Amino acid sequence: MSALNVTAGFVQLAFRNLRGYKLRSFLTTLGVVFGIASVVTMLAMGRGAKEEILREIDKLGIRNVIITSVKPAETKGGAAQRTWVSAYGLRFKDLDHILATVPGIARALPVHSYAEQAWFGSRKEDVVVQGVTAGHFDAVKLKVAMGRDITDDDNRVRRGVCVVHLGLLRALGWFGDPIGFRLQVGEQVYEVVGILEDEEFRGLARQALSSPAPSQGEVYAPYDTVITRVGLMSYTRRSGSFEASNVEINTVVVEATNQDDVLVVSRMLRTLLDKTHDVKDWEIVVPLELLAQREKAQRVLDVALLTIAGISLLVGGIGIANIMLATVTERTREIGVRRAIGAKRRHIVGQFLTETILLAGAGGILGVGLGWVGTFIVGQFTQWEARFTPDVALVALVVSCAVGVMSGILPAWRASRLDPIQALRYQ
Amino acid sequence: MSSPASEMRGAPAVGAADAVIDATGVHRWYGEGDARVEVLRGVSMRVLRGEKVAIMGASGSGKSTLLSILGCLDRPDAGGYRLDGVDVLQLSDDEVSDLRLRRIGFIFQAFHLVPQLTILENAEVPLFYAGVPLRERHDRAKSKLEQVGLGHRLHHRPSQLSGGEQQRAAVARSLVLEPPLLLADEPTGNLDTENGKAVLALLDRIHAEGRTIVMVTHDSAIAERADRTVHVRDGLIVDSAHAPAGKATA
Ligand SMILES: Nc1ncnc2c1ncn2[C@@H]1O[C@H](COP(=O)(O)OP(=O)(O)OP(=O)(O)O)[C@@H](O)[C@H]1O
Ligand SMILES: [Mg+2]
Repeated sequence: MSALNVTAGFVQLAFRNLRGYKLRSFLTTLGVVFGIASVVTMLAMGRGAKEEILREIDKLGIRNVIITSVKPAETKGGAAQRTWVSAYGLRFKDLDHILATVPGIARALPVHSYAEQAWFGSRKEDVVVQGVTAGHFDAVKLKVAMGRDITDDDNRVRRGVCVVHLGLLRALGWFGDPIGFRLQVGEQVYEVVGILEDEEFRGLARQALSSPAPSQGEVYAPYDTVITRVGLMSYTRRSGSFEASNVEINTVVVEATNQDDVLVVSRMLRTLLDKTHDVKDWEIVVPLELLAQREKAQRVLDVALLTIAGISLLVGGIGIANIMLATVTERTREIGVRRAIGAKRRHIVGQFLTETILLAGAGGILGVGLGWVGTFIVGQFTQWEARFTPDVALVALVVSCAVGVMSGILPAWRASRLDPIQALRYQ
Repeated sequence: MSSPASEMRGAPAVGAADAVIDATGVHRWYGEGDARVEVLRGVSMRVLRGEKVAIMGASGSGKSTLLSILGCLDRPDAGGYRLDGVDVLQLSDDEVSDLRLRRIGFIFQAFHLVPQLTILENAEVPLFYAGVPLRERHDRAKSKLEQVGLGHRLHHRPSQLSGGEQQRAAVARSLVLEPPLLLADEPTGNLDTENGKAVLALLDRIHAEGRTIVMVTHDSAIAERADRTVHVRDGLIVDSAHAPAGKATA
């Protein structure tokens, strides 16, 4: 008498029995259906959110540490200083210092940026000109879709070239061949040599990388060209008066040799800058830390969502247990008959447990289906990303069967303890 | 799987070697203290292999209670009971269940088919408990139902059948595992004469196959077809007479 034969027999028996109680069986599963559907949707949303975070972080580069110059908080009597040139932030010597003293750095790429307006005909667009070195795109995970990258050679001979997003040219009203377009930025002209791959992404990476102001467009030009042409001074209009600032390097993208070193490198950079700068005129963004923070927040959210899902499953399980208890009472006579025929207690336990597991399992399958639909709807009508994966479905099915076992134990045990004679006489 | 029926607990009583049923001084009471109602008050009864015995008595005299004990569904509060020489009172719940499954067929007045199952599925139930493989269950249940003339009703629910058909299905179910002993509690009590006759004829045939039958009945005409009749009154057996000579089957 193989275990498989017995299991198959119980499953067959359960199907035959439940067939006699179709509507009730369906209603019994509803609690589990909705419980599982919410678990599935929540897991899918959690997974989607996590992927979104990973994508964002990936834009910043997981091995990167990004140091940005920031204007230090104004000291007292600031009114008098307003028109003065303020010099702050990262200097060239900081970069040399970093490269000389901090180990584990693959490369440190300086960026000098300033806000300007690009114009074409009568149209104007606010842009941030970013003076970058070769390898910058690679380090910050930007891809050149058309044309070419900024090269070492561009920097050496200080070529007046740039790489932009196609959207900027479209906004300016240029619909011709982008490569070779002579882009007027303030008083400078940069010839477009490359077009960046368009990505939907707007967020963390941009905020961290475009220091002077969030803008619609970036114009990436060779670092040395920018420094030579416009110098280190930049002017910003601020409450009626111009403000001049002298910032040598706006941003340094420091790339660690490997991911394990990122946190050590960032700590050393902080210590170094703390020592060498009198005022806090710099900021460090570590994508890996952001990742950890976001993951932590996500975990808290996950726990909350799963608790809710768990409660709804518990309620669903109690519902099943409750109805199965009523079913056992209603089918007391059947139990008596089965015992009289020769069923052992374990046969009765097996019968009702299998019925309950089958009900919960069916609820699980329906719940996964509903959850899949729910995931789709959430994805369609909200900003959230939801990712439905087979392993979520598998987890849901296992959980629902476990719910079946839990809620089936008491009714099945009750049924098996009935006295055959009393059960036969019932009603 | 070891059959508990084959495990002898103590030596069988002298002269009882061929007794299928051997009950001695069986007491059964309900309630405690002043509220105690004694339903069986020292019943002794012996049924030999191949016998057909009728039990008669007034309503409430304890016939069903006695039959339940003989069928190992109930246990006496005092007294002894051996089935095929095995001391039933010494067996565990599982072992007693196995006795009911393999040694005893039960037929009830109210048929007691499982309502949500078809006739065929009902007849498969004991085979499942006995661990018979799926395929064989189907074939054996089907052939037993055909033997009782229900080959054309296999996939009907009990509620779709007449009382007589239901009782014949119940007989088929009680016989699928070929038990040597058949217990029937007023098997024709819920049937009209015509259907009752068909069921009785069926029981006669089963008896002729060599099975032992103990049957509770209110109808003395039915009791006369048995080898002998046992009369129960006030929880005691008052008379155990053999039927007129010539009626007995070997
Ligand atoms: N669980 C119980 N609790 C109390 N009394 C019981 C119980 N079961 C049976 N009795 C009593 O035992 C007595 C005998 O019952 P039993 O069913 O054996 O009678 P019977 O001879 O089969 O009667 P009938 O011919 O009406 O079927 C009845 O008086 C009944 O009330
Ligand atoms: Mg009775």
